[in-house]
Amino acid sequence: MPMNTTLKTQACLETNLESNIEEIRKQTHYSDDLIIRKVRVGAEGHSIQIALLYFDGLSDERQIYQFILEPLMQERVTTEGHQGSELLDLLMDSILAVGQISKFNSLDSAVQSLMKGYVVVVVDGCIEGFQIPMAGWEQRAVTEPTNQTVIRGPKEAFTENIHVNIALIRRIVKSPNLVLKNHTIGTVTQTNVSTMYMEGLAPKEVIDEVVRRLQSIEIDAILESGYIEEFIQDETYTIFPTIINTERPDTIAASLLEGRVAILIDGTPHVLLVPSLFIQFFQAAEDYYHRADISTIIRGLRYFALFIATLVPALYIAITTYHQEMIPTQLLISLAAQREGVPFPAFVEAIIMEATYEILREAGVRMPRAVGQAVSIVGTLVIGQAAVEAGIISASMIIVVSITAISSYVIPEFDMSIAVRISRFFFMGLAAAFGMFGIFIGIVAILLHLTSLRSFGVPYMSPVGPFHFSDQKDVILRVTQRKMNTRPSMFGKLNPFRQPNPRRSKRS
Amino acid sequence: MRTWANRFLCIVLALSLTLTLTGCWDRRELNEIAISVGLGIDKVGDRYRVTVQVVQPAEVAASKGSAGYSTPVTTYRASGATIFEAIRKMTTISPRKIYASHLRVVVIGEELAREGIADALDLISRDYELRMDFYVLIAKDTNAEDLLELLTPLDKIPASKIFNSIQVSEKAWAPVSAVTLDMFIRDYESKGNNPVLSGIKATGNEEKGKQKSNVEKLQPDARLRNNGLAVFRMDKLIGWMSQEQSKGYNYIINRVKSTVGHVPCPSGDGNVALEIIRSKSKMRTEIRNGKPHLTVDLRVEENVGEVMCKMDITQEGVIDSLEHEAEQSLKDIVEQTIEAGQKTFKCDFFGFGNALHRSNLKAWKQMENDWDEHFVEASVTVTVKVDIKRTGTIDNSFTHDG
Repeated sequence: MPMNTTLKTQACLETNLESNIEEIRKQTHYSDDLIIRKVRVGAEGHSIQIALLYFDGLSDERQIYQFILEPLMQERVTTEGHQGSELLDLLMDSILAVGQISKFNSLDSAVQSLMKGYVVVVVDGCIEGFQIPMAGWEQRAVTEPTNQTVIRGPKEAFTENIHVNIALIRRIVKSPNLVLKNHTIGTVTQTNVSTMYMEGLAPKEVIDEVVRRLQSIEIDAILESGYIEEFIQDETYTIFPTIINTERPDTIAASLLEGRVAILIDGTPHVLLVPSLFIQFFQAAEDYYHRADISTIIRGLRYFALFIATLVPALYIAITTYHQEMIPTQLLISLAAQREGVPFPAFVEAIIMEATYEILREAGVRMPRAVGQAVSIVGTLVIGQAAVEAGIISASMIIVVSITAISSYVIPEFDMSIAVRISRFFFMGLAAAFGMFGIFIGIVAILLHLTSLRSFGVPYMSPVGPFHFSDQKDVILRVTQRKMNTRPSMFGKLNPFRQPNPRRSKRS
Repeated sequence: MRTWANRFLCIVLALSLTLTLTGCWDRRELNEIAISVGLGIDKVGDRYRVTVQVVQPAEVAASKGSAGYSTPVTTYRASGATIFEAIRKMTTISPRKIYASHLRVVVIGEELAREGIADALDLISRDYELRMDFYVLIAKDTNAEDLLELLTPLDKIPASKIFNSIQVSEKAWAPVSAVTLDMFIRDYESKGNNPVLSGIKATGNEEKGKQKSNVEKLQPDARLRNNGLAVFRMDKLIGWMSQEQSKGYNYIINRVKSTVGHVPCPSGDGNVALEIIRSKSKMRTEIRNGKPHLTVDLRVEENVGEVMCKMDITQEGVIDSLEHEAEQSLKDIVEQTIEAGQKTFKCDFFGFGNALHRSNLKAWKQMENDWDEHFVEASVTVTVKVDIKRTGTIDNSFTHDG
């Protein structure tokens, strides 16, 4: 566990309450939001001074009043005859009405607890204190997913609170084998990072590797899962994401049951899943909630959209500038008619339109909601109409760019659709310089690159390359649930069967 | 840091190498090419005169308001000692380079055809830009250049009008044969067969047909018409088959897909039209008494298409007699066609020689060098079997009932 470097001294509590408080205030640099509440406990004459410390807004004050202050300040409390740790035991055992409570004696741990929303209780004359987790602050409720929406299926999404997220997963997978391990990463932010996996399903090597990579991170701040993703991914220099993230608890549950490891990060609704495969980016949660035949067809559509989004502008450039013989005569004439008077080569035309589209898309994500409409009107007019009417762009190019743009959003994972869009420009360049030949060289290059990638030791392109016949159940096809009887052989080896004997139960 | 610098340097060096590559040498934008759809070849003196019909895309794809400003196609003419030179020479009058991959038809003037066309076809079979799927045609009684300059209604591009009408008429009306360049070359090179090409003819006032007003009239001043088949000995045109013979030719070489024929009514006061829906022929050549004997075995399925007399076709005997009539009439057509081959053209353009090659190699080896002479001497047997299948949506004609 990385140590907190800002607190160098291993200072301990003293018996003097005031100096303890002073020391804590000093360590938090006299911040004004540190609340200190001193109370006297016990009958007059034998009363002991106790101080509660917590940060304003981090702890739930209502609970502090109800379960800490109120019991302490009741008149029947007698502290007579108790001193030191005996007194602490008394307080802990019979007075403080809280569940999780622990003793501490180091000032460092007291300050760290305060930062997490704990209430720190310091008792005069004792060299130990209590820390009581009582974190409670305003937070977003569990809402519908914003990015990975479904028509049929659960409509819960993760929130920023890791505890809520863990609960969302545990509520789906009610198994004692679901293991959670906590880590704290970020020397300053002290971010909670948890790994979850199914004991007896997830391969030991993968779990160890995840832990090893997480522990090797040494950075001051972890603000989002993207930080972790970049630190633990196998290959940095690739446009393809090798770690998938999701905001859907059901996706995480399904993946845990396939033997994968989930990494939850406090403060973000995006949960990471490792190992991740290329095909996973084309599997939407909904595939498993619809009927198998429908899902198979839709999945086919998605792969087709991948093909369109990657290659159509490149093919258009290559065919219209090098291989006109491939176009049916009537189509060629109509394309040529549209190009009459267009001043740019097809490649420049395509780059202009694709760049315009990407600018509009980025503006659409980033702009304030209030100006959204204005931008979309300008965008529609610029892309759709004015460019063609002004004779700068041919109408067919608009069609190509539009179908490409829409197709890239059929890919369920945003990370992958960005990768596809980048590769599109790569292919367009090759098509402009070398025609079809260039495109095919590009495809070979990309395939070589994809097959060279690994995600936590698992080949990225499996189960297609290396080929696993039994795993083809869920690649292009989505077979029926009865036939989906084994886990992916890449990570589910420890307990390969999902159904006892699916063939026998089929007709029962 | 050093590896970083190295990697960066490598990338820059690799990229700078690409500057020396000549990637885009054959790149041309769609508005830099002249899409040619028709190629005409004539011979004037000892020079070839080449006519190219080029599409004006904006006029053909008339979705914009600018259409109607000029004709849908334009032609360029140039002459040279070779066809290749002539085509390249066209850049002196054309703003764009002629692009020939979408060629629909090659039209050869009758005069050149009579002199021999093999030399003229070398370029178009050699050049990589040309596909083999265009039709080779002979301009009957005229020059190719005149034919390619006629404007046609319905299909704005005359070359594709010719292409389509040959295709359609081959399917629905037998006396046309769609011959592509590779088919012509195959027949030319084979010793047991001579090539046949379709003919095309301009009817009406050719000069007026070259103006845009030709397509603005209900009855155009000039039209293009498919016109029978031209018979070649090797690469020289030797004559034209009549409509009947053209039909017979297609029956013999098994290329009839559908057509219509007629037979007289049994009562003798009208005709019955019969639609051929399936036709299958077998050609055989054997040696009988040292002479070749040609056999054509024709099996045809027909439907009754039109009845113009009083007759009860619900009677089995009536259909039988119709079948018999049809058999007789087809037999006449086929026999007359073979006779024309033997007597008028004196050469085998059916491929009976190839049939002999397949069935009797020994005899063929003796005859192959002067096969046409043996063909002329050959005896002929034609058998025809007609099967009438259906009579349309009614049985007897309503005139019969009334």
